[in-house]
Amino acid sequence: MKAAVLREQNKPLEIEEVEISKPAPREVLVRPIAAGVCHSDLHFVTGDYPSALPTILGHESAGIVEEVGSDVTYVKKGDHVITCLSAFCGHCDKCLTGHLSLCQSPEVSREAEESPRLYRGDETIHQFLNLSSFAELMLIHEHALVKIREDMPMDRAALIGCSTTTGVGAVFHTARVEPGSKVAVIGCGGVGLAAINGAAIAGAGMIIAVDMVDAKLEMAKSVGATHTINASSGNAVGEVMELTQGGCDYTFEAIGLKATTEQAWQMLAHGGAATVIGMIPVGTMVELHGVDFLFEKKIQGSNMGSNRFRVDMPRFVDFYLNGKLHLDQMISKHIKLSDVNEALDALKTGQEARHVIMFDQ
Amino acid sequence: MAKVEVRTDVTGNVWKITAKTGDPLNEEDVIMILESMKMEIPIEAPCSGRLVEILVSEEDSVDEDQVIAVIESS
Ligand SMILES: NC(=O)c1ccc[n+]([C@@H]2O[C@H](COP(=O)([O-])OP(=O)(O)OC[C@H]3O[C@@H](n4cnc5c(N)ncnc54)[C@H](O)[C@@H]3O)[C@@H](O)[C@H]2O)c1
Ligand SMILES: [Zn+2]
Ligand SMILES: [Zn+2]
Repeated sequence: MKAAVLREQNKPLEIEEVEISKPAPREVLVRPIAAGVCHSDLHFVTGDYPSALPTILGHESAGIVEEVGSDVTYVKKGDHVITCLSAFCGHCDKCLTGHLSLCQSPEVSREAEESPRLYRGDETIHQFLNLSSFAELMLIHEHALVKIREDMPMDRAALIGCSTTTGVGAVFHTARVEPGSKVAVIGCGGVGLAAINGAAIAGAGMIIAVDMVDAKLEMAKSVGATHTINASSGNAVGEVMELTQGGCDYTFEAIGLKATTEQAWQMLAHGGAATVIGMIPVGTMVELHGVDFLFEKKIQGSNMGSNRFRVDMPRFVDFYLNGKLHLDQMISKHIKLSDVNEALDALKTGQEARHVIMFDQ
Repeated sequence: MAKVEVRTDVTGNVWKITAKTGDPLNEEDVIMILESMKMEIPIEAPCSGRLVEILVSEEDSVDEDQVIAVIESS
């Protein structure tokens, strides 16, 4: 099969012929139909996050089940599925207390001494986040996918695989935004726009979108932002404090920078909570003014929207199909697998929302 | 020749140890791969030298900034 392989950091992905193993008893072979290109993929190209190499990136996809392992009963060949990197074991403390997205059990990937899922001759190709969706086939654990209804378009379904679940989930599950409250979202890419849309569904009273690109702020309005601020002015915090007359109940950082994380904290009202979604480069420290804790300000991380994706994703599909979740405008371009490097480059400028790879069927 | 400690950046589990004691290493050679929040994170040699000690085993869990190996720098 063809796949886009990252062999060296800061080098373009290369389209190569890669081999894929047969499903083990609890594995499923999925033929992706669509795969979004997320900023998290870019973090591993640039080395903000280190990764075992060579690897096949990609983690936001939807497709059709091709073959199932001998113990799999949840799906069968032909089922439509969304994949999710939050593969859960189902029996660790995190899973059993309802925090499936924090499951760290190694059993959803193959052990070091087992034959790898992806390879080329005797070279192991590392599977990225247990998924690797920039490839014509994916071999994943049965707990890394969810069945969806067949009237859901695959390109929109792919977005639910990461950005929607991350942004909407951060609002619903991590922050639990209250109806009527004041919200600011810093960064209006695929993830930030999903958080804005989620805040609108949750009934937030004021939703302030912050970005440096005007086109993104226009998109933010189309998915539910009530106010926008172009951060190029250098005074996003001041403008939020002015608009809200005292700060936000909830802020969301959806970029992955120290500066904007500190801004998310500074934009809070007394008692407010900042939720950091962006992947801040490994080794970066964040500074907060200590006295702010006396005002009961809170700050927390959010991994994949604290999801329970087998419950959440079919609900998000329904939200899209009944007009609450606006996924159509999130897709700025449909591309081929061979154009993946252009999509990664586009993420560097922030000018566009999501590029979605469509695989030939 | 100085002894250099190799430390982790993140918490996680040791998935695979790819080098062995005595191996000569170049700077950035991978010593082991950690699994952390679904990511496979390589731990690389901070300098060139010889790997004199590996302080963890596969499947061990490790903390941020834990010393996991020692290199004699060249
Ligand atoms: N926590 C998780 O589970 C999780 C999941 C998915 C993605 N992420 C992370 O979320 C972040 C966003 O991902 P994305 O795919 O939406 O990225 P993106 O590149 O599509 O969007 C980022 C947006 O931020 C804007 N921006 C950049 N610098 C800015 C600044 N200083 N002030 C204001 N706006 C600025 C850009 O114009 C762009 O619109 C990334 O760090 C990604 O890795 C985290
Ligand atoms: Zn993503
Ligand atoms: Zn678990």
